Amino acid sequence: MLEACVFATVLLGFFGIVLKRSLLMKIVSMDVMSTGVIAYYVVIAARSGLVTPIQVEGQTRYADPVPQAVILTAIVIGFSIQALMLVGSMKLSRDYPTLETDVIEKGNTP
Amino acid sequence: MNMLTIAWIALPFFIGFVIYLIPQLDRLLALSVALASVGYALLVFRQGQPIELELLDNFGVTLLVDPLTAYFILTNALVTAAVICACWQSPKTPFFYAQTIILHGSVNAAFACIDFISLYVALEVLSIAAFLLIAYPRSDRSIWVGLRYLFVSNVAMLFYLVGAVLVYQASHTFGFIGLREAPPEAYALIFLGLLVKGGIFISGLWLPLTHSESEAPVSAMMSGFVVKAGVLPLVRGALVIGEIDPIIRAFGVGTALLGVGYAVFEKDAKRMLAFHTVSQLGFILAAPEVGGFYALSHGLVKAALFLSVGQLPTRNLKELQQIAIATPLWIALVVASFSISGFPMLAGFGAKVLTMANLVPWQVIGMNIAAFGTAISFAKLIFIPHQSAATAASKPLNRGFWVAIAMLIGGLLVTNLFYIEAYTWANVIKPLATIALGWLAYFLIFKRLTVKIPRMFERLDHLMGMMSLMLVFLFWAVFAT
Repeated sequence: MLEACVFATVLLGFFGIVLKRSLLMKIVSMDVMSTGVIAYYVVIAARSGLVTPIQVEGQTRYADPVPQAVILTAIVIGFSIQALMLVGSMKLSRDYPTLETDVIEKGNTP
Repeated sequence: MNMLTIAWIALPFFIGFVIYLIPQLDRLLALSVALASVGYALLVFRQGQPIELELLDNFGVTLLVDPLTAYFILTNALVTAAVICACWQSPKTPFFYAQTIILHGSVNAAFACIDFISLYVALEVLSIAAFLLIAYPRSDRSIWVGLRYLFVSNVAMLFYLVGAVLVYQASHTFGFIGLREAPPEAYALIFLGLLVKGGIFISGLWLPLTHSESEAPVSAMMSGFVVKAGVLPLVRGALVIGEIDPIIRAFGVGTALLGVGYAVFEKDAKRMLAFHTVSQLGFILAAPEVGGFYALSHGLVKAALFLSVGQLPTRNLKELQQIAIATPLWIALVVASFSISGFPMLAGFGAKVLTMANLVPWQVIGMNIAAFGTAISFAKLIFIPHQSAATAASKPLNRGFWVAIAMLIGGLLVTNLFYIEAYTWANVIKPLATIALGWLAYFLIFKRLTVKIPRMFERLDHLMGMMSLMLVFLFWAVFAT
């Protein structure tokens, strides 16, 4: 069930990227998609248990720390790319106030 | 050697930031990093055996540097050095050099690592640095082209991440080796990411606009080594896991034909070169065992071509038929074009012979057609009028540009000796015949032809939509084998 929700998030994000016309909405959709991907890592990490992997007496069902550690890097990278893209679209919005991709594309394809 | 490897990986990032602190030394520092990489690659060649490193116990970063990697590293280093020389007298700010070196470092890291997460990090750092370089002129167009690149590659990398965790789930490791036990959907997702990053087949159609609209030095770097960061993991995959080898080879043939099909009809010089990059990436994948040498010869040639075409008075190939360009520039163009068409005495010849010798039978016809198409498309650059430098219409060329070209063409001549066994009569006659036929076809048919191929598939929405189709296709391709 949880896994289905996670995949639904990824797919919804991807559809947003394809179907939304505004560049800003596309970038937000990309963020939705990456949220889905991050959630999937967390779900996989929780397969073996939910307890924080710090040794406690009488506890055996620890969460897997590796996917969590790995996804932390991906979160940081994802958010820096997000920021970079938003700055880029800010610059573009001066000449293309609606930020519609097909208009920008028409103006910038030789 | 282990310490040296770690130092070599870290050096570009360190120097990249030092350039910000000492902006007066920007070019010198950047150039020395590139030369250090040349030295490192030569050391790896001399040592011969692979260096394997596993940093920080289990689940740490794993690195592998073998002679195959060394070819890619050498390409990266030589092209970076040439680009820095070509920009030496231009008014580029230290920011440009810092980003160039960070790009160089991230591509090195992507070549050396053999686990999915380090590769992910390297590829993302590479995207950011490439975006900053593409958007360097800060015009609307450059920002849009950069954003488009970043967007496409980031979405592809999100799919890749899902694939990486599926591999981990199946085999409890992020190493490439874990792919063996992974389900077909993991293959499909990871391949999609790499195919898009590497500019292969339909997924590579973002590449022509990006490479043709960037400034000449940036295009040279993008075509010379950046796309190869996505190609080397695919080559490694084909070598490590035998079952996927036919899929990779099939993609190689498909890409070679697709790229050359576009390039033959293209009337814009830079776009033609960009499409041609797509086709050459196909050649690298078509014979993964010898892909390294091909990548080296292609990287050197493509950088030289992009730098020289950047100096032409116009990009339109039809107009170039009317304007005479300076003879020295023409010679640079011709030598590079000859190498890529597979003319003896240059590295392109050995690379093509080696690739053709390592094909499996069903690939041969496709790759020969692609080689023929290459000869046709480069006839367009070879047969442009030229005259002495004093009277020609082109801009005056500075010394840095010539140092860069000398470095690249010298590289072509020297690496030609890597595979001296290629010089047999049969091997020499075949490319010459291909080139002759190509030129004939050019004069009889393609010179008069004006076909405009629609650019529909290069639109952002279509690029994204194509990714989902590709994913389904890859899944069934892996499922079937």
